[in-house]
Amino acid sequence: NIDPESLLPKLPSPDELRPFPTVCANIFRDHQGRVRSVSVDPTGTLVASGADDGYVRVWEMLTGRQLWNKKLSDDEAVDVVTWRPSKDTAIIAAAAGETVYFTIPFGLHTVNPEIEQASREVLDSGFGYQANKPTTETNINKEPTATWSRPSTSLTNDGVLLTASVRSTIKVITWHRRGDYFATVSPKGQSHAVAIHTLSKHLTQLPFRKLKGLAQTAQFHPSKPIFFVATQRNIRSYDLSAQTLLKIMQPGARWISSIDVHPGGDNLIVGSYDRRLLWHDMDLSTKPYKTLRYHQKAIRAVKFHQGGLPLFADASDDGSLQIFHGKVVGDLMENATIVPLKVLRGHVEKGALGVLGLDWHPRHPWCVSAGADGSCRVWC
Amino acid sequence: MELDAPNESEKTSQVRIKLTTRDSDVQLLETAPILVSTALRRYALSTLVNNLLESEKPVPFEFLINGQFLRTSIDEFLTANGISAERTLTVEYVRALIPPVHISSYEHDDWVSSVNVLATDSRARILSSSYDGLLRIWNTTNTDLLATSPSARDNGHTAAVKAVKWLTEKKIASSGDDRTIRIWNYVEDEGSAAAITPVLELYGHKMTVGDIAIHTPTSQILSASADGRVGLWSTSKTTAPTAPTSLLPTASSSANKRRKLAKADNKQVSQRGPLSMLDGHTDVVSSTIFKHDDPTVGYSASWDHSVRTWDLTTSRLVDTRTTLHPLLSLTEMPQVSLLATGTTARHITLLDPRASSSKVSALTLRGHANAVSSLAVDPKSQFGLLSGSHDGSCRVWDIRSVRSVASGGGGGDGGQVGESVYVIYREGVEGVKQRAVGGEGVKVFGVDWREGVGIVSAGEDKRVQVNRPEGKQ
Ligand SMILES: [Mg+2]
Repeated sequence: NIDPESLLPKLPSPDELRPFPTVCANIFRDHQGRVRSVSVDPTGTLVASGADDGYVRVWEMLTGRQLWNKKLSDDEAVDVVTWRPSKDTAIIAAAAGETVYFTIPFGLHTVNPEIEQASREVLDSGFGYQANKPTTETNINKEPTATWSRPSTSLTNDGVLLTASVRSTIKVITWHRRGDYFATVSPKGQSHAVAIHTLSKHLTQLPFRKLKGLAQTAQFHPSKPIFFVATQRNIRSYDLSAQTLLKIMQPGARWISSIDVHPGGDNLIVGSYDRRLLWHDMDLSTKPYKTLRYHQKAIRAVKFHQGGLPLFADASDDGSLQIFHGKVVGDLMENATIVPLKVLRGHVEKGALGVLGLDWHPRHPWCVSAGADGSCRVWC
Repeated sequence: MELDAPNESEKTSQVRIKLTTRDSDVQLLETAPILVSTALRRYALSTLVNNLLESEKPVPFEFLINGQFLRTSIDEFLTANGISAERTLTVEYVRALIPPVHISSYEHDDWVSSVNVLATDSRARILSSSYDGLLRIWNTTNTDLLATSPSARDNGHTAAVKAVKWLTEKKIASSGDDRTIRIWNYVEDEGSAAAITPVLELYGHKMTVGDIAIHTPTSQILSASADGRVGLWSTSKTTAPTAPTSLLPTASSSANKRRKLAKADNKQVSQRGPLSMLDGHTDVVSSTIFKHDDPTVGYSASWDHSVRTWDLTTSRLVDTRTTLHPLLSLTEMPQVSLLATGTTARHITLLDPRASSSKVSALTLRGHANAVSSLAVDPKSQFGLLSGSHDGSCRVWDIRSVRSVASGGGGGDGGQVGESVYVIYREGVEGVKQRAVGGEGVKVFGVDWREGVGIVSAGEDKRVQVNRPEGKQ
């Protein structure tokens, strides 16, 4: 007469798993059109957003005050915006169309003269490298893989000091933790879909010319020279130094929208347009360890907290975000503990789209979301 | 249970009460319990206490039983709280707070980040700082704008101002997103126009300076910065050290370009550096104060969850009290030896910074629905506190009004919890928007409370608002 329920491991209740975001603390409004992407700056005081109106805007995270904005393009949406991951610089990388724009947002409180100088050096060093580059490079007669240049004065006056253009619209920018390498993903770019760039050298490489399937997103491993590329169905991990394929994860989703690697490096979450959120323990299997179906519509973004809190979140076209507890234990014998904590509602569905982007604060249990309704929201 | 006890209602129609107070000027000489009818309410009890005090001018009192205000008859209170009328009831009387009503508003061009009131025998002035980079001084008798600080082109702040304080009647300190602290002279002579003129620019912080504290007798300033440091500064040109050149605007090519647009005939304002920079916090320092009776001691509150005590003479970190949440605001309640700190988690924590105290939190004040951005103490009561929040309200608290709760439940920290006595919303904002999601449009960023002027609050509605108890006291 054993109740089978009693044999299941007891999950802790959400109340015991605080802190996690529960309420909307702030709404940022001014974008005309869908907000595609949000990024919290390395200091944790500012949020950058990018939208269909071609603008990048910067907001004071805790008050919602708009402190800075710049229109990058008259005819292209800003599809992705992300801060360079270093407290020594204040650089926003944002993509509109085929171009990544690197900006030092002058006038913001974080851009003191020392930070401004360091940021300029990071963006400028590649010009010297390019000028001195030996002409024995392989692609001397080919169209370059990317064009690095100084933009027009109307842009440079406002701090947009460098652009890198590839051949097809960029949907993803993802940084290596040290902030020198970054990758771009252009899903329609075929053999040029995934590019790895070296900022200090203004150099672009295409290591995945023969990728099977259409590239959707990519990410660097948090500590090892490993790179993850997601196509519609699979996620491949590559050893960047040995140039070899390591694993092919098969989440079973029909169309992957987003991935995020756990800060420990052994676990991966995957969001899919077919409404599924999948947790992969990469030590365990190439199949997902957990499948989470909570949303009515497509999942657009997934993100782990990067600052030591056992939290992750997803964002969906149903207008909600779901917050989860996700605790990874070092012990190989023990699986991750996953507990759904909270559904955050507030964004309004618009044109069948809901929440398109999300990011976590680098330290605190706060997240920020980008809505198709033109607003961003901070959740505390 | 004595289920068949006869005439239960008659038996409980009277209750023995012991009247106490912590207000020293209204103490009763006779403290023995007295028998009163359980039908009594606040007003009748207040009359009773005034009779016992033989007051010439009656003082309205409120009554606390087990930390809860009596809002019904004693009988109803006892029933609702399951208290037996058999026992002697301890009833604490406190001076009644009169509901603060809206008196006036001061319209700004942009969000108002902080306010500070000057109240001397001759005049009352409100000083406000704004996201437009300007300071403003207002006459409280007619709400006239008396003076506005110079713009960025004329040696003013080059970004949002976040904090402002009167140093003296003739001197002002301010700080903000341009990472500077600025000292200004203020002249307001009879018959001539009032003017704010820059006298000193203080450099040393690497990120926004969100709060400053002043100590007028020693001409010193404490600053709280997002760079994680607390700065100690002199407001005197002669005693302040030289400015760090790497942080001056001349070290920034973008600022140099901007400065070329400034007026050519501008005189350079003197630039100085900090007396010391206090390292220890690991996140944004949001607020700082001097100890009320000892300017060699400073306190600071940070997003790193801690309140720290500093020896300003030796620049030494003396004590760290770590709470459970990021902290945004800080004030001292000197007579009860407590510090009050406002959190992003929507409550206020009161803590005892004295080394003898082992408890982290003495009391939690709950009720706000968003971050608690600012705090001020009641000028008339050592137990009174004012808070401003991103939820669009200010709340008035009496820390004698508390109840005990178990820890754990509802994510609370347990211990003693207080509720507010009054809530003040933004005037001129419709009822529904007063409780806007995310505090949209109504966030309060700064508060001050001065006798004679009242409760002064500033916010996202581009207004400074004054509320004051009016009518019979
Ligand atoms: Mg494992």
